[in-house]
Amino acid sequence: MRSARQPQRHTLSRALVTCLLLLPLAGPADHHDPIAERQQLMSDTREALKPLIGMSRGQLDFDRETVRASLAVFARTADESRDLYPDGTQSGGDTEAKATIWSDRAGFNQALTDFSEAVAAAQQADPQTAEAFQPVLRSVLGTCKACHDGYRVDKD
Amino acid sequence: MSHFLRWGLLSLLFGLGVLWVLSRPQPLTASALPGHEPDLANGEVLFHAAGCGSCHGQPDGERARGLVLSGGLIMRTPAGRFHVPNISPHETAGIGAWSALDFVNAMRRGLSPDGRHYYPAFPYTSYQQMTLTDLLDLKAYLDQLPPSAQVVPEHELDFPWQLRRGIGLWKRLFLDAEPTRSMTKQQDLLARGRYLVEGPGHCGACHTPRTWLLAEDPARPLQGAPAADGKGRVPGISAAQLADWSVDDLNYYFEAGVDPEFDVVGGSMVAVQENLARLPARDRQAIALYLKTPR
Repeated sequence: MRSARQPQRHTLSRALVTCLLLLPLAGPADHHDPIAERQQLMSDTREALKPLIGMSRGQLDFDRETVRASLAVFARTADESRDLYPDGTQSGGDTEAKATIWSDRAGFNQALTDFSEAVAAAQQADPQTAEAFQPVLRSVLGTCKACHDGYRVDKD
Repeated sequence: MSHFLRWGLLSLLFGLGVLWVLSRPQPLTASALPGHEPDLANGEVLFHAAGCGSCHGQPDGERARGLVLSGGLIMRTPAGRFHVPNISPHETAGIGAWSALDFVNAMRRGLSPDGRHYYPAFPYTSYQQMTLTDLLDLKAYLDQLPPSAQVVPEHELDFPWQLRRGIGLWKRLFLDAEPTRSMTKQQDLLARGRYLVEGPGHCGACHTPRTWLLAEDPARPLQGAPAADGKGRVPGISAAQLADWSVDDLNYYFEAGVDPEFDVVGGSMVAVQENLARLPARDRQAIALYLKTPR
């Protein structure tokens, strides 16, 4: 009996150890952390905004390609944000998401739609001069503000 | 009735009498008003500087906005629910029947035309610093906005906050018309900045922490405070706290709503920023300069 069971137990424990060893590798790939992801997305958005503000303030020369690249980042933000505020991520990870995202999901989605449409309109306008760029930027910023007003808590 | 009880009762009555006298309304009289031809353009600037529409405008979710000053926004506070009044020029629902003196008494003394104290949720402790001619210009501007017939309900406050008369005592302590800093005549732009910040702009209403008596703490002007809705903090905007901001940074923030770290303005500051964006550039510059000047 004893000798017959031993190899089986050996196999079992080896499988277990293998699983345990592989766990840290599998972890990051499977583990979905919406709070970290949306914070990264906001951080990317801010990076993309930097050169645009520089141009708006006259600190950087107007550059059409840079504007296009930044607008593409904004379009991605609008698109991906929709799925990054699932139930259960109302708190934790130092999130600045306001409870209204969950209590007024339709309003939040509308704010994202407004953002997405403002970005699309900016891409359509494709401004070619610094002067033409100013009002385009303002209209996109208007939709950022609307969302930050209703759906973000300022923690600092 | 014992001797002791009689004296106790008399003292109590005397005390109440003193409080009654101390809390009485102290309106300005018509002789205080200057002869003045109203300047609508100046009235419009003051309308945006004072943010009238951001409380009295038509409610839109948690905010109010626009030029129809129907009121109706509900402000939830620890004292209860305040219903923001209709200040459109409607004769009965709004303030269309008010005289210039009524308006000045509301703004400078926190008094209704029938002599009742207003709750300081209406920031007359700041507005009292506005000049009489500015107030007359502002009234003229309000008078030509569209009327709204919306009737706003009375405030729903908990005990003891319904006792309006007590506000008269509070005013004795905190309604003084003194600016927090003195200026010399040469500092024109700075003085304009102070006037806009401390008077119409009422920046301290959110950015200055309050004492236990709910008055702005004169020892900590603009140094940051807990947000009124209990969520988050209103940042300090004293010169020391704005060390990382240049005057240009502030100017751009007022104009476009983006801070030096490329963050886009949020929360209740959005409405304030959008009001600031409507001011003449020189006024934004004056505010920026004033905030950046150490006390």
